[in-house]
Amino acid sequence: MQPIKPEDFLEPEWVEWYSLSPSERWERTTELWQTYLYLGGSLDPEPDTQSPFFDAEEFRQSFTDGRPGLHIVRRGGV
Amino acid sequence: MGGQACILYGAAEFSRDIDLVILIDDENLAALQNALKELQAEPIAVPPFSRENLERGHSCHFRALDPQCYGLRIDVMAKMRGVAAFDELYARRTTVTTKDGSLEIDLLSLPDLVRAKKTQRDKDWPMIRRLVEVDYFTSQSSNSDQRDQQLAFWFAELRTAGLLIELSSKNPEIARQHARARPAVRAALDSSNEDVVKELALEESVERDLDRVYWEGLKRELEEFRRTIRKN
Repeated sequence: MQPIKPEDFLEPEWVEWYSLSPSERWERTTELWQTYLYLGGSLDPEPDTQSPFFDAEEFRQSFTDGRPGLHIVRRGGV
Repeated sequence: MGGQACILYGAAEFSRDIDLVILIDDENLAALQNALKELQAEPIAVPPFSRENLERGHSCHFRALDPQCYGLRIDVMAKMRGVAAFDELYARRTTVTTKDGSLEIDLLSLPDLVRAKKTQRDKDWPMIRRLVEVDYFTSQSSNSDQRDQQLAFWFAELRTAGLLIELSSKNPEIARQHARARPAVRAALDSSNEDVVKELALEESVERDLDRVYWEGLKRELEEFRRTIRKN
């Protein structure tokens, strides 16, 4: 029986991520933070109706206020 | 203890908040409040930040207003379902150092993080699978004591059917010992991928139910806090 290797069932980016050291992952995720914030990414928790902390009222309110840093310039039809 | 820990262990690439597990004593709470003040962090959502709420198992939430980390959300907890008390968690923590040595980060040990992630939320379960997978692929110890601990951890927590079957076929004697406590290992010894998957789903379902029950009372308290705030 051949030993199972990460590449046997993981996508290449996960294989690469698994192979990094914790400090390398720290560096990469810090870079991702910069990009995420540059693109207007929100620091609010993602809506998760299964979380015990989920507050439906607060979630509706956040949609009323809109998301900071992102502006829709074109919307496709549904 | 949350997404940032999962990143350093290799199971996630990005998290937009920081979750801290803390010791509840006067000195430490004062130190936490100083740190939050430095970050200009203000409490958000419910419950209010208090020793009593932390002791009851609630999580208290903050948002940093310091320009260097503006908007960063920080969640603080002191107790989690199915996880040991803080002293034990701290004694077996993992410490990670950044490449330049400028920062030391204390994380829950991997087994403790896996236990803490057994929640009612869908998103935590693929995370658990990846946390154990990374360890399985990258931490093959040559020290026999450590090796025994690793095997016990993998037999208890691996959630990738193919890997559990591989592990059992390489270590059938140890697998038989663990099979008594974990039906998924029993199915792995029979090399039945389908049965392992079924047993893993059953384990997940049981843990999710337990987590829902654990949070029932706390969720009622959170609703009460919200009602009081809206009334005022």
